[in-house]
Formats: sequence, structure tokens, C-alpha cells
Amino acid sequence: MAALGAALTVFLAGVAAFLVLRWAGDALSPPRPTDPHRVPFQGGRPPEVHAWSRFHVRYYAMTLIFLAFDMEMVFMYPWAVVFLEEGLVAGVEMLMFIAILVLGILYGWREKAFRWA
Amino acid sequence: MGLRPLARLAAGPVPTFVVPGRGGRRAADDLRLDGRLRLVDSPRAAAVLLVAGTLTDRLLPAAMLAHDQIPGPRATVQWVPEGRRDRLAGTFSAPVLLRGDVDVGAAVAATYRELLAGDRPSDPPVYPDVPPAPWRGAGPYGQGGKGMSGGVPYGRPLAGRAPDRDGLELDRLPLEIGPLFPPFPPGLILRIDLQGDVVQQVAGWENALAFGRPPRDIFRRALREPVALAELEVARARHHLRWLSGTLRLHGLPALGLRVLVLARRVGPGDVDAVASLKRKLERSRSLAWATRGIATLQPEDVRDGPGGPVARSAGIRDDLRTEDPAYRGLGFEPLTRGEGDARARWRHRLAEAVQALELAGRAGDRLVEAAGGVESPRGALRIGGSPSADLLSRLPALLPGREWGEAVALVHDLDLDMEEAVRAAREEAA
Repeated sequence: MAALGAALTVFLAGVAAFLVLRWAGDALSPPRPTDPHRVPFQGGRPPEVHAWSRFHVRYYAMTLIFLAFDMEMVFMYPWAVVFLEEGLVAGVEMLMFIAILVLGILYGWREKAFRWA
Repeated sequence: MGLRPLARLAAGPVPTFVVPGRGGRRAADDLRLDGRLRLVDSPRAAAVLLVAGTLTDRLLPAAMLAHDQIPGPRATVQWVPEGRRDRLAGTFSAPVLLRGDVDVGAAVAATYRELLAGDRPSDPPVYPDVPPAPWRGAGPYGQGGKGMSGGVPYGRPLAGRAPDRDGLELDRLPLEIGPLFPPFPPGLILRIDLQGDVVQQVAGWENALAFGRPPRDIFRRALREPVALAELEVARARHHLRWLSGTLRLHGLPALGLRVLVLARRVGPGDVDAVASLKRKLERSRSLAWATRGIATLQPEDVRDGPGGPVARSAGIRDDLRTEDPAYRGLGFEPLTRGEGDARARWRHRLAEAVQALELAGRAGDRLVEAAGGVESPRGALRIGGSPSADLLSRLPALLPGREWGEAVALVHDLDLDMEEAVRAAREEAA
């Protein structure tokens, strides 16, 4: 019987805490924004169409170059470990690898991949 | 009320969204120098809506939508400058109404303090809380339609598709930007189709400030009566510097823009050296050069047979009404031109013209300008019944397509349109 009473007390305390927290959340939160409040601001006119749209990701060239250099770092960690043992050969090999990647940067540059405007 | 001291502490510069109505653009600009206010570019970041100037019928719905988009608690302050009618004033539920020559910054700050202290209730929304089309419950997820390609999600239809410049079929987003889009001239509503960030088409424009007569500044006065050349040239230099202040803000140098605005308000014939040194400093700035070189380039064909002005002169067209004026010829006036036609050329050219204008003003003595049919205003050739803004506006559908959005914004800013000046010519002739 005592165990049932304890369980009931815990249950009631839980329900009370839930209700109090719900009420506190509602009381403290700002009022729900109205529909006109929620539309994107584009200078005072409401949008005609929804903004779910498919568009061309024109920064993909920059993304590819970022990815290439990201992967380059993955190769450089094991290289750094064996660099002292291998010496100059490892250095030259890594320089060749980076030089090839730099060609990618130059290509991206020519294609205006880094132009920010 | 234990919260009051806290509210007082929280009252820093008031985040204010300004709606510049007729006759309010310049005053609204000057409010940037008021340390009690912080002018924000979106109503979402604001607490107070400040309507500066006279509202028009077409500006009112935009002002009301901006009002509703300010998160609460919010307040409205309406300020009608001296000599302007208070059309539509009092449309908002309980605005603070100011008239004439008053300390607007102090009034806005006081309203904000009352709002935070709880002495003033937050403005209720103007528009009813209904979506533009019923959508709730429709579709398998209640999102308003069948999957991603149908229905009206959240009350709005999806964009239609059209071929992209790369041969892909992508969505074409019709947008109406303005009349309160901060980088655009107040009152310009531009209807454009965007694919990604590329402008595909300008479907049209509207002038939300087309109402009544064009403003009477010194250049318009010079059309009808002789005015002092020195006065005219100082006004030109001030206009160009004011434009430059907005340009610096647009290209991400707002603090420098404020300093230029201070200079623009007080510059006179004795300040040739100050403006020349500003020009040298800006031309040395690497970041400004990077942000503007090769951006929004205009070819001479784009601006030929137009009103001339600094936009055309910075693209290599040597049109300037001042060359026909004997008063200017007596001073040995030669118009400046530039060949590049990009955004960088435009600000460098306007700065050079400001220096030249101050120099002319210093040497002008009491020469008078007597307009023979037209005056060279800072925007180009101003004639009775025609304005450079109206002409440049009509060229937008040819100038913007194919440009990226950032470039299009820079170009619209660089054209330096004044929508109050661009009211229909017929109206002015009737006046």
C-alpha cells in the first residue's frame, strides 16, 4: 500500500511539474508570430511563390577545390610521419603532388570560381 | 516592478527600421549620425518602425507589412517634416506622431524606453493572421500539396521551371523587391525573375512614391530662375558625397560611410583638399578596389543617348550640359570622363566630379547659371518635363538581365535613382 502511495505521489508530482513547465513555457514565450510576420522580408511585398526551389549551385567549383585540399591533408598526415625516414625523396614527391593540385587552383581562378559577388 | 532598472540598462541604441516616404529620404539618411538610433536593414532586427515623410497609397501596404514583421514589443513613430502633408498618418493603431522640426532621435529613444519599461503596450498587428491560400491539412504530410511538386505549401505555390543559361531546367523565382529594400532607392518596386542568383528578366517596376510634384531642390529651381553657380556646384559635391556614403555602406564599409556623410553635410568650396585627400585614401584601399573592380560594368551603348550624367561619363560618354553654359565656359570647364564603366569607375568618377565641383565653386565668384532648357543635375541632364531618374529607370529591363544579384543591386544603387524625381513628366507640366 505504501509503495502504491509513493508511486501515485511521484506520478502526481510528475504531472504537476509537466503542467507547470508547460504553463511557464507559454507564459514566457513571445506571442505566436502571425502569418504576415512569418513571410520573408523582401522590401515590403509578400512573396508570390514558395521559396522551395531548385537552383544552380554555382559555387560547386570552389567546393571541389576545397574537397581536393581537404583530402590532401589526409595524405599529409602519414607523409609527415615517414618524412624524416625517407628524407628528400618524400619532400619532392609531396611537392609534385601539391603542384598538381595547384594547377586545379589556377584553373578555378581562370573560371572565376573565387569571385565573391 | 523589478524589471524596470534592467529595462533601462537594456536601452542602448534603438534598433529602428525606417520607412522613407516622400520628402523623408535625406532626413532618414541623416538619422544614421544619431548615436541614439541604430538603423537596421530588416524589420526583423528592429523594435521601432519610423515612418519619415509622407506616406503614399502604394507605400502604405509595404509599411504595414514591415510593421507586422517587427517582433514584439514594437512601436511606431510617424514623422511628418515641415511643409509636408500628413497623408495617411494615423493609419497605425497608436503611433507617436511628430511634426516639423523636432528631435526625432530623442522621441524614438523615449518611445523605446516606455516600451521596455512596460508603460506602453506593444503595437497590435495590422494585417489579419491568415495565410494567402488555405493549405493546412492538405497533402500526405499536411504540407499543403502532393509532395514537392504540387499544391500550395504554407499557402504559396511553387515556382515554375524555365531553361537556365547553362541549359538546365531550373526553377524561376518571380520576386517583387522593394519599395523598402534598403540598398534600393526608397520607393522602387522591381519585379524580377531570378534563377539561382542570376537575374533572368525584369518584368517591370513600380514607383511607390509617384504622387504629387517632384521635389524642389536647387537644380530644379535653376530650371526656372538664375541661381549662383557656386551654390549649384556645392550642392553637386554634397550630393555626390552623400551617394558615396551609401556606396561605402553597400560595399561593407559602414563606418567610413558615416564619416563621408558627416563631410557631405558640411562640405564647402574651402574643402577641396579634404575631398581630394578622401579620394586618394579610397583609391589606395585594396578591399574597396576588389569589391568594385569589374562589377556591374556598363558599355557605352548602354547609356548612350540618355541623360548623360556621372553614370554615362564614367562609361566614356562625354555628355554634360555645363559645356554649353557660358558661365561654365568662362571658368574653363572641361567635363571629366572615364573609360572603364564598372562600379569602381563610378565611385572614382563621382569623387573626381565632387573635387571639380568644389574647385569651380571656389573660383565662381558671383557668376549665375541661366538654364537654357536644361540643367546638369548630379544625376544627369534635368529638363522641364523630363528627369534623368525616369530615363535611367526605363533602361533597367535592358541593363539587369544576365547579371548576378549582387551586381544588379550594385548597379541599381550606382544609377542613383530618385523615385520622387521620376514622377511622370505630364504631372509636372500640369503643375
